[in-house]
Amino acid sequence: MDAVILTRGLEKTYGRTQALAGLDLEVRAGEVFGFLGVNGAGKTTTIRILLDLIRPTAGSVRVLGLDPRREGVALRRRLGYLEGEFSVEGRQTGHELLTHLGHLRGGVPSARITDLADRLQLDLTRPIGTLSKGNRQKVGLIQAFMHEPELLVLDEPTAGLDPFLQQEFVAMARAVVEQGRTVFMSSHVMSEVQKSADRVGIIRDGRLSGVDTVDSLRASAIRQVEVVFAARARTADFVGLPGVSDVRADGAVLHCRLEGPADALVKALAAHDVLSLTSEEPDLEDVFFDRYSGERPEVAS
Amino acid sequence: MIRTVYAKWLRDSRRSLAGWTAAIVFVGCGYAAFYPTFEDPEIARLLESYPQALMEALNYTNITSPAGYLGATVYGLVVAVLMTVFAIGAGARIVAGEEEAGRLDLTLTHPVSRTSLALQRVGALATALLAVVAVFWLAMLVIAGPARFASVGAGNLAAMHVHLAAFAFLFGSASFAVGAATGRRAWAIGAAAGGAVLAYAASGLLPQVDGLEWTRDWSAFTWLTGSDPLTNGLDAGHLAILLGLSGAFVAAGTVAFCRRDLAV
Repeated sequence: MDAVILTRGLEKTYGRTQALAGLDLEVRAGEVFGFLGVNGAGKTTTIRILLDLIRPTAGSVRVLGLDPRREGVALRRRLGYLEGEFSVEGRQTGHELLTHLGHLRGGVPSARITDLADRLQLDLTRPIGTLSKGNRQKVGLIQAFMHEPELLVLDEPTAGLDPFLQQEFVAMARAVVEQGRTVFMSSHVMSEVQKSADRVGIIRDGRLSGVDTVDSLRASAIRQVEVVFAARARTADFVGLPGVSDVRADGAVLHCRLEGPADALVKALAAHDVLSLTSEEPDLEDVFFDRYSGERPEVAS
Repeated sequence: MIRTVYAKWLRDSRRSLAGWTAAIVFVGCGYAAFYPTFEDPEIARLLESYPQALMEALNYTNITSPAGYLGATVYGLVVAVLMTVFAIGAGARIVAGEEEAGRLDLTLTHPVSRTSLALQRVGALATALLAVVAVFWLAMLVIAGPARFASVGAGNLAAMHVHLAAFAFLFGSASFAVGAATGRRAWAIGAAAGGAVLAYAASGLLPQVDGLEWTRDWSAFTWLTGSDPLTNGLDAGHLAILLGLSGAFVAAGTVAFCRRDLAV
């Protein structure tokens, strides 16, 4: 597959602070790529370089095969962008702004704007300044999606969206990649990207510390399993099963950690009288940072 | 339909433009309507008793003729100051004000180059200044009879207003340039306003000092009213200086803007 975004040894220095310290990033056509990192890790710096809002100190960047610096206008024609802090003149209505932005792109069918607004339940006739933060974010999402760009670059797109809209966003992002287009989105929490992303890359201290598919993270996720038996739990039957560790018994309750397929554990349990079985949804952030032996970026609340 | 950055900028500025036009028409015409007072022989005698140096410092040497009065008070001071303040504020907003408000990124992440954005918005500023002086010109024509300065003539008044627009554009361009190069609105306004104050001093006050007479030739106020457009019409030389310097500011500001990183 072609690389839609390709950076090599990207560096950006502000005075004495090094925001990017040799970032090698490759985003492929037709995927949703989650770009994860704590605030200050270099996410926004990277994104602003892709859009030629700032220029790298060293290294190379190609986006859709173009150089953002020299071929910026041609590149931005094929790209949709949502900034982290979407802020516009507040007295214009959503309709007025989106129509204008559509014209800057050579015209966007107004039906497409109203379709997106209906889907996100946004009133386009209200002045943007009177909208809530979540509704302003919808205006930002619409302007990024409305011209059906080949590449969407979204800086923290789901921050401030309620759960219904987060789901709607996942559906919109998946629809984009089904058409062979690409989404590059940043976030500081895994839970916001794991539903939509195919691959996740973590940036730490201005470098990419690892890239993995969400599927592979899920497969190796460690789950906390709790089993309640009709009789007293016996740890001996479960210790040593593939993927099972930390086996503890507490009366009729058995606790253990499960990594990888659940098959062996389930078959062992089948020999007993099981009253209930719970397995927590794994935290992929834990998996990721276990795998790359880093610290967790942030305690997700 | 708002298809371009130019049209959008004018549209977004319409409230401020309407307010400034009203203020300039109101204050300018108000001062102009005061002219008949200076025709009074009593006033003329009173003014003759003032020291010559003071009259020169205030540009009041020909205050009793319509062109002299309007040139010294309306165009040489009150309206010049209002136009300058308007142009400096608008020039600073083009890049620096928008950048500080975090609004510049949106347009620049569309297929619009920085050069195009800067030039279209500077073009919108020039259009706005021309609109203000045009409306003000119409208002002056309306009161010319009652206020007894009809002898100046519509053509010479128009010439004065062209000078006024070019004069304001110079400070608007300077403010744009500093803002585009630094991204700081306060610096843009400070530098351009400082330049305007210096220019005012150089037009009247400084030349009173021995050895500083030359400063008068380098003042934008001299390029505004020094050739007396209300009597002599357009002055190609002064207009060329005003527009040439403006062009240089716009070019320098745009080049610097294209080269630097934008603030978040």
